[in-house]
Amino acid sequence: MIQFEHTTRTYGNKVAVSDLNLTIPSGELFALLGPNGAGKTTTIKMLVGLLRPSRGLIRVCGHDLVTQTRSAHLHLGYVPDEPYLYDKLTGHEFLRFIADMYRIPRDLSQEYIKREIDRFELHEFADELAENYSLGMRQRLVFAAAFLHDPDVLVLDEPMVGLDPRSVRIVKDLLKAKTADGMTVFMSTHTLAMAEEMADRMGVMVQGNLKFLGTVSELREQVDTKTKSLENLYLEITASETGDHKAVSDNT
Amino acid sequence: MQNQLLDIPQENKLTRKLRRTLAWNLVTTIVHQSRFRFVLVLALSTIFWAAVFYLFYDAFTFIDSMHTEVMSLLFNTFFSALMVMMIFSTGILMYGGLYRSGESSFLLTCPLRAEAIHAHKFTESLWFSSWGFILLGSPMLIAYGIVRDAPWSFFIMLIPFIVAFVVIPASIGSILCMLVVAGLPRLRLHALSISLAGIAMVIFWLSWSTFGSVQSQALTAAWFEETLSRLAMTEQVFLPSWWLSSGLLDAAFRGESRELTHQSTLEALKFLGLILANALLLSLVASWVARWTYRKGYSNLQAEVPIKRHKQLFWLDELLSRAGSRVGNPIRLLLVKDLQIFRRDVTQWSQFVIFFGLLGLYFYNLRSFNYSHVYASLIGHLNLAVVGLILSTFTTRFVFPSISLEGRRFWILGLLPIHRDQIVWSKFLFSFVGGLIPCLGLILLSDSMLGLPWGTVLVHLTCCLALCGGLSGIAVGMGASMPNFRESSPAKIAAGFGGTLSLVLSAMFIILIVITVGFTNHFNLLQQTIGQLNGNTTSRLLGSPGGQVASVLIIIAGGLLATFFPLVLGIRAFRQLEP
Repeated sequence: MIQFEHTTRTYGNKVAVSDLNLTIPSGELFALLGPNGAGKTTTIKMLVGLLRPSRGLIRVCGHDLVTQTRSAHLHLGYVPDEPYLYDKLTGHEFLRFIADMYRIPRDLSQEYIKREIDRFELHEFADELAENYSLGMRQRLVFAAAFLHDPDVLVLDEPMVGLDPRSVRIVKDLLKAKTADGMTVFMSTHTLAMAEEMADRMGVMVQGNLKFLGTVSELREQVDTKTKSLENLYLEITASETGDHKAVSDNT
Repeated sequence: MQNQLLDIPQENKLTRKLRRTLAWNLVTTIVHQSRFRFVLVLALSTIFWAAVFYLFYDAFTFIDSMHTEVMSLLFNTFFSALMVMMIFSTGILMYGGLYRSGESSFLLTCPLRAEAIHAHKFTESLWFSSWGFILLGSPMLIAYGIVRDAPWSFFIMLIPFIVAFVVIPASIGSILCMLVVAGLPRLRLHALSISLAGIAMVIFWLSWSTFGSVQSQALTAAWFEETLSRLAMTEQVFLPSWWLSSGLLDAAFRGESRELTHQSTLEALKFLGLILANALLLSLVASWVARWTYRKGYSNLQAEVPIKRHKQLFWLDELLSRAGSRVGNPIRLLLVKDLQIFRRDVTQWSQFVIFFGLLGLYFYNLRSFNYSHVYASLIGHLNLAVVGLILSTFTTRFVFPSISLEGRRFWILGLLPIHRDQIVWSKFLFSFVGGLIPCLGLILLSDSMLGLPWGTVLVHLTCCLALCGGLSGIAVGMGASMPNFRESSPAKIAAGFGGTLSLVLSAMFIILIVITVGFTNHFNLLQQTIGQLNGNTTSRLLGSPGGQVASVLIIIAGGLLATFFPLVLGIRAFRQLEP
């Protein structure tokens, strides 16, 4: 479970995230949408503990991310938009490192590593150094690492970039299954179709403020005519704040 | 499954295992994929170690027989200078490792203590900042032990002494780095870094000029006395460098009786205990500072507003863009682009300023000494070699990878109406002009401070021209012949086979130029100073005006060959390249 309580983050005089109040319960897949510079990355950085809120707090499974950072991290899995891998570790060694970090007993960790290797089809390259991996291979390994310790909360930043259609399918199916089992997923994406397909609820962030928060069907209810698509509605929500309103209207 | 947090020993064990695996994989990769580089580095390191050992062995034999009391002063000076350098180098390395690396971003999202991440990056930085000390210090101390016929315990104690000592300046550097980042935002941090570098240079200059107004003839007894008094400021009892010097001197002492030797060894152990205690205390303080400031400092740094660049062109870019006719316009535009990147890359220009700045300070202070003509000529040639060697490190580290780094942007350049040759030429011109300006200035400064005759100065300037052209040609030509488009880190590209070969060729070229000019010029000076050289026909020939002219012609020919041969090869290879 994730809780943002009056969370604000400023960069100098600029407010990147303004007074965010949001609770994402267990078993929910939440998608955060918004144009570039809306505050999505800042929100994610705060959620994984790389940035501290200027005001307010964030809790992960009841643990405050500033004062109980490690306890919160124990429940978190994170797939960043630009994942870091040790170039001089093999995929297998990297997964072993992650398993040891979460203190998974050796007999169980062998089983879990095998499970993730099977799940993300890493067999062919699991014993090669990561420096030889393509973008898609790296992304699959990062997913395997994020799922290895069965986190209660999974944070995904543009998760499908670099994945081939088969891997995208694997990830989508897995996310659905895991949320059904009670995992909370917080996903930032630019792909409206992905959010529409996957998310239980979505939020649209514009200039640091959450302009829309609700289920996909609630968003659909706002689409009043046949001529208006979900995409156009999203563009209207975001354009009204960014000053692109005319451009959107012209396009519709 | 319920995951569990690691305790401190488990965290340390985990990161230790990570470093061990990374190091092992790195070594096995190098051995399997870059055998030539591995053998070359090993051989050169061994030669370097042996040469340093021989040099110190000879020097200690000389000092031991004449000026035994000087040893303490030399050790103090060496270790205190090293300590200051290590504080700065570890501070800079820790800043990059803790706050600017992808690894730290990754580790900060893991359930690890800030202290564990700090300890991991500290161990890495400690190794990187102290390997130079090990390479230079170990032959020196072993040579000293052999010359002084030190007891066996001295050689055993060397390792704990060195290991414990390096932790002290490294911890201080790390603590300062974390406190500065936690307390100061990034913009002020840049200002602070530049100010600190400036202050360090001013202190260096002031202390040198205060103590360095030596009026005596070089290498005389009076000169020696004056030099020693200048170095006495390093003998402060509260400095860890003094503890180390005193401990090592005591450990190396072999008394007339066994008892005296034991007593001295015990004294050495006391110093070792003192250094060890301070090293442990400071590493503990560093760990505390990490606990309280690291995550906060990292967050503060992330939240800094990026610097906005002016829309208008910088005056130099504007000048370059408008200069000359329209012919060669793409080359000028590429030069402007490289100049902008260079200006904004702190790593490049800061190293450039520090190395050439320190060299300038040293050359400026050469006037403090009175030299005989022969010594002045010798020092002048050595200075020429030093300028060349420093330039070669820059051309290998920054110019050689520059074409490889275009790889990821190659599609931009590929779509522009630019001939591929122009890309190579622009890189060459950038390196040549960028190197020539400071190098000519430094050589002029060195020669004028040494009071060398104008004839020698002109020969040195010709050498400088040849060196800048040749070194740039080698770096750009080799870079175009052996590009590595997969790698994004210039340091890794430079450390590859092509970079290593480029460095070796550059060093050989410098040696060739300096030896050619050095011999003829030196023999010519000897002929002028002490008259006709007796007996040796070769020396007479080399020192004759004909020999002088021949050497200049060889330098020009060598310079042209080193400039254009690799460039032509590089251009040919680059034309056929398919990135």
